[in-house]
Amino acid sequence: MEHKLHGIMAEFDTPTQLVDAARRARDEGYVKTDAFSPFPLHEIDEALGIKRSILPYLIFAGGITGLVSGLGLTYFVHVIDWPIIVGGRPAFSLPAFIPPMFELTILFAAFVAVFGMLFLNGLPAPYHPVFNVPRFALATREKFFLIIESADPKYDYAETRRFMESLDAQEVFDVED
Amino acid sequence: MANPENYRAPAEINRWRTLALGVGGIASIIWAVGAYFNTEQALLSWLLGFIFWAGIGFGCIGVLLLQYLVGGAWGVVIRRILEAGTRTLPVIILLFIPLAIGIYTRSFFDWTHLPLTDHVMEQRGIYMTPWFWIVRAGIYFAIWGVMVYLLNKWSADQDLTTTTEQSRLVLEKASRFSGPTMVVYCLVVTFASVDWMLSLDAHWTSTIWGLLFAAGWALSCFCFVVAMLAVLSDKAPMDGVLGKRHFHDLGKLILALVMVWAYFNFSQFLIIWSGNIPEETGWILTRMKGGWGYIGVGLILFHFAFPFLVLLQQDFKRHSKWIAMLAIFILAIRLVDMFYLIGPSNRIVTDGLEQGAFRISWLDFVGPVAVGGIWLWWFFGELLKRPLVPARDPYFEGAIEHGRGH
Repeated sequence: MEHKLHGIMAEFDTPTQLVDAARRARDEGYVKTDAFSPFPLHEIDEALGIKRSILPYLIFAGGITGLVSGLGLTYFVHVIDWPIIVGGRPAFSLPAFIPPMFELTILFAAFVAVFGMLFLNGLPAPYHPVFNVPRFALATREKFFLIIESADPKYDYAETRRFMESLDAQEVFDVED
Repeated sequence: MANPENYRAPAEINRWRTLALGVGGIASIIWAVGAYFNTEQALLSWLLGFIFWAGIGFGCIGVLLLQYLVGGAWGVVIRRILEAGTRTLPVIILLFIPLAIGIYTRSFFDWTHLPLTDHVMEQRGIYMTPWFWIVRAGIYFAIWGVMVYLLNKWSADQDLTTTTEQSRLVLEKASRFSGPTMVVYCLVVTFASVDWMLSLDAHWTSTIWGLLFAAGWALSCFCFVVAMLAVLSDKAPMDGVLGKRHFHDLGKLILALVMVWAYFNFSQFLIIWSGNIPEETGWILTRMKGGWGYIGVGLILFHFAFPFLVLLQQDFKRHSKWIAMLAIFILAIRLVDMFYLIGPSNRIVTDGLEQGAFRISWLDFVGPVAVGGIWLWWFFGELLKRPLVPARDPYFEGAIEHGRGH
């Protein structure tokens, strides 16, 4: 093993084994880990020690930006740039401004939610080393995978590989970079 | 399958029951004294209490139908509390009697003493007569009664089933019933809320009125249920059933309904504001003046903005005591909202006040307490009658598991 590896991957048959393995990897002190499963596992976040995403706060900020933009847009159009008297109402008529403000709040929050999610997930990713393991294709069907990346500060090829083999894994793979 | 007998309500509820009856009884006596001196005001205050507390009961019917329709763990764990809420229908009918007598003898609804030559009275004819108003109320109670009877009967049948297949059949029957019945429920809510609340002002109409009440009563119901769950979650048997995630789910539903309430109210306001027709704007103008104006702003802040921002936070929704406190706060604001709808329509001009001027009577505090005490007494009694969870429901174990999940 002279060339650089992306990490070491273990394959499991059941979600319970994966969660147990993830928990042991975390207890061992590994932080650059990831788990793959054909369906969502609620316990895995806790097992891997994954922190909560900052995405909700970004979405809230996006919503506030939308709200202010909506007010800015309607105010600029109706009060500053082109005031027209409609139904005898003052140029600044907040009730009429609320629907655009509301819509822009939703729009901005939704944009931040979608694009923020993609960005934080590192998507789109045209290439990912995990697919170098042929059996990894089964992650979308019936197998469960755990990976410890070589970028992990505690990573040491021989020791990490020994640790992975000590888990209840079907098989342990080296993942080419 | 789990044994329903292991999930009997804790005996302490008996104490709450006595307390509720005591408070309700004393308040009713005080109310009766008040009614002797100022009957119209007493009836309006009774209506305030009735529409608030009976609204929780009606909301329980709607939410019970909803949870059969959409499924989910939250519905399984609150089903028996909802059912106890729906079985308060007899006492709701009892609490309606003062209003039925009042409509005949007193003029707390303005249309009962409008001249028959009045434009709307001419158009509406027999629809706006006290006897037909009472007959209609009887029809609403009868339709709701059929729903309450069937849903409770099936749920009791489910407790007697011994296999998952039998239990699933009962659940499927209830689910199939709930779809079309939900439509009927919303129609009845529309007619009832128009009769009992909108017609306080015979010259004003709103087509979103029924939806405001369907959503508002569902909100009241969820807040009431969350408060009940938080109290029960410390004690056997519910301490073994409820988890953080149940409160999280219910918190999301409260958040959604808080938004729906604001959305419907704003829709109503915006359309009337845009139209700017004198017949329509009067109702809102009265509510923007003086003391009513402050209540209106207060409702925007505390019926929408404050609960909305608080409920956006995940941790808040997962903490049973916090979410319960917010639920009780929203219930209190719901009562203020009902007061805001009834108060300005008050047509009694006995003390030299201008029509629609801000006024609050001491009876407005007594009425809701009197109705609430009696309603809660009945509710606790119903809660004691059956196990607190549908233990033989095919999804019961899954629902407990869901609550413990991350």
